[in-house]
Amino acid sequence: MTVDGWFTAALVVGLVSSAICVIAALLKKGPNDVTLLAVAAVEVFLLCYLVASIVRTATGTAIAGAPWEFWAYLITAISLPVAGFYWAILERSFWSNYVLAAVGVTVVVMMARMAQIWYGVAAPGPGAALGTALGTALGTALGTGRGQ
Amino acid sequence: MSTNQPAVARTQDTKATGPGRLLIAVYGIFALAATARAGFQIISKFSEAPVAYLLSAVAAVVYIAATISLARKGPFWYKAAAVAVCIELLGVLIVGALSIFDVRAFPQDTVWSQFGRGYGFVPLLLPILGLIWLYRHRKPMEQP
Repeated sequence: MTVDGWFTAALVVGLVSSAICVIAALLKKGPNDVTLLAVAAVEVFLLCYLVASIVRTATGTAIAGAPWEFWAYLITAISLPVAGFYWAILERSFWSNYVLAAVGVTVVVMMARMAQIWYGVAAPGPGAALGTALGTALGTALGTGRGQ
Repeated sequence: MSTNQPAVARTQDTKATGPGRLLIAVYGIFALAATARAGFQIISKFSEAPVAYLLSAVAAVVYIAATISLARKGPFWYKAAAVAVCIELLGVLIVGALSIFDVRAFPQDTVWSQFGRGYGFVPLLLPILGLIWLYRHRKPMEQP
């Protein structure tokens, strides 16, 4: 896939956000201003990407893949931090920070798929990356939970 | 829904706590991913492999059912979650085995093909973790 500035930015913002949330969870802290702002940063990035994508398509750049698939991915990605935020603050235990950590990683995987659609790479899907990322997150989470 | 149930059960039987919240979140992500994938396959290329894409749809429904029933309280939703997670485990084992022995019938397009290898084997891991989680929260079942 083509790695552009948007994907690089998503990679940095998403992974840093997830890292902050995992560290907070490892320190047995519940969702707080730091982790919620880390997730908010992902949302702000996605909203910037949405505006930029609308501007780019409006000014003549064509999406190589199926446009409706691209927009569906983008709208779903934008709703993820909101869903994660909602699910996390319902119970403010340190486990909820792992939930918040899942947001950044998942958004990175979805951004990878969006880049594929944008630049037109027929790919089997984001499955492999998504699975590996989630597996790692879950493995870390359960490894910590056992000691508690 | 739980108005006619004893107050004790209502406070003790939640599965959506601690690690359960992360489990439900990951189930939710898979429900979303499987639904999106099945929808895309059925809309854009259903005639290529109807059986595999129908299985994708079944998988999506199972993930949605598991997510909702794990998040809900009460003995009914406990049973529903157990059924959904068991179907999920059977699905990943059967489709996983068939996809290895009978490659033509099952292209690598479903979530469960090759025991979920395309998704980092998380589809195989998830029902096992789900059953462990349900087993550790089996108490409400024993209450009358």
